[in-house]
Amino acid sequence: MDINENIEHIVKSNVDLEKCLTNRDSKDNITFGSGVKFSDPCIVGIDEAGRGPVLGPMVYGLCYYPLGKESIFNDLGCADSKTLTDEKRKDIFQKMCSDDVGWIVEALSPTFISNNMLLRSKYSLNQIAQDSTVGLLNKIISMGINIAEVYVDTVGPPEKYQDKLKSIFPEFKIVVAKKADSLYPVVSAASICAKVSRDTALTTWVFTEDFEVSLEEIGSGYPNDPVTKKFLKGNFDKIFGFPQLVRFSWSTADKILEDESFCTEWEDVEEGASEKTPNILGFFKKDPRKKEHTKHEFFKKRKLMNTENL
Amino acid sequence: MVIHVKCNSNAFKSESNVHYMPCKINFDGNATVSKYLQPCVKSGSTGLTVSFRGHPLNGKEINLPTNYKGIVLQERVKPLTEDADRNLHVVNTFKSITYWNWDKIPNHDDAFIAAMDWIDIAEALHSPVQDE
Repeated sequence: MDINENIEHIVKSNVDLEKCLTNRDSKDNITFGSGVKFSDPCIVGIDEAGRGPVLGPMVYGLCYYPLGKESIFNDLGCADSKTLTDEKRKDIFQKMCSDDVGWIVEALSPTFISNNMLLRSKYSLNQIAQDSTVGLLNKIISMGINIAEVYVDTVGPPEKYQDKLKSIFPEFKIVVAKKADSLYPVVSAASICAKVSRDTALTTWVFTEDFEVSLEEIGSGYPNDPVTKKFLKGNFDKIFGFPQLVRFSWSTADKILEDESFCTEWEDVEEGASEKTPNILGFFKKDPRKKEHTKHEFFKKRKLMNTENL
Repeated sequence: MVIHVKCNSNAFKSESNVHYMPCKINFDGNATVSKYLQPCVKSGSTGLTVSFRGHPLNGKEINLPTNYKGIVLQERVKPLTEDADRNLHVVNTFKSITYWNWDKIPNHDDAFIAAMDWIDIAEALHSPVQDE
């Protein structure tokens, strides 16, 4: 097996995973994987972790192995990933760092998520999710993985999403289903990669800000976790809001901002709302404003004016 | 009404980091810029970037024209009546500004950046004419 040039970070153990997530700028997205290659046609599973939490990255996991090799999962024991303990999941993840199964993960940073949802022209969470899924599939395609079947877990309506993915990858058999992680072992395995990566990303988080918070104080990141709630309230700044660990665009964070921070006013992006079509009769009327002494266009454009008062 | 600008030499010893933000913040006072903002500023192919309250910002370092200096003024006591004299104190100075736009790379179409043109024009228009 050769190390793959398409994946920036190769991870071969839980220790590697910790290293890879610690030694980076936590505001950036990161992609890492096992780099394992197969020549036989593969079955692929995709799942996400951390869509709900207000803290930390949202993680997409993709798992692949040759068709007909499902038996390896009997040994791994990851049938229902949601019921497993954190320790058990880490254990399985360690076993998945073998040459029998391949995986790749993308962690989308909270800053990336907030920034995309707060662009001038908004980029929705579903679109972010879809782009990450398509990106991971393209990554393993460029690694030379021969994809035959793809199983994807979804939170939204599966039909629409399935049609969308089929139109992008018409050559594969694609199945999008709710709770796919309990139906297909390959999705279950993908969910373990995603979940372990998300948990590790949270416990190894490095604050870019001049911040001293022990990582036990941040909790699970779920909005209803009392530890997370306390962290949000306690580490709040009336001007800047929260550190970059927080998804500002989430309603929990947004509500605290709205209620407790100094109000900010941003440029209105709704185009054409202020400019009404002028009434034709208006052209024949005297415009009272025209009499006023108006500044030259040069100054208007630059918003320069004389100041007499402060 | 007279406005007095007062300064002691200490104010000119330190130079502060001034950030021009693309939104109005309804607050007047100290901000922990060095804790929350400064460490997160990144420099890349599109210039400076940072996230403020979840909003993506694009920034540019703008040097003030040569021979110009920026000053930060503070009024410690607000005037009681409209025609009372006012005292402003120079508390800090700066030679450059970090100018930020919301999701737009700063360029000459931005009023603030374009306003710097006036300095050269004013110089040409208003500087004393030398007798020849």
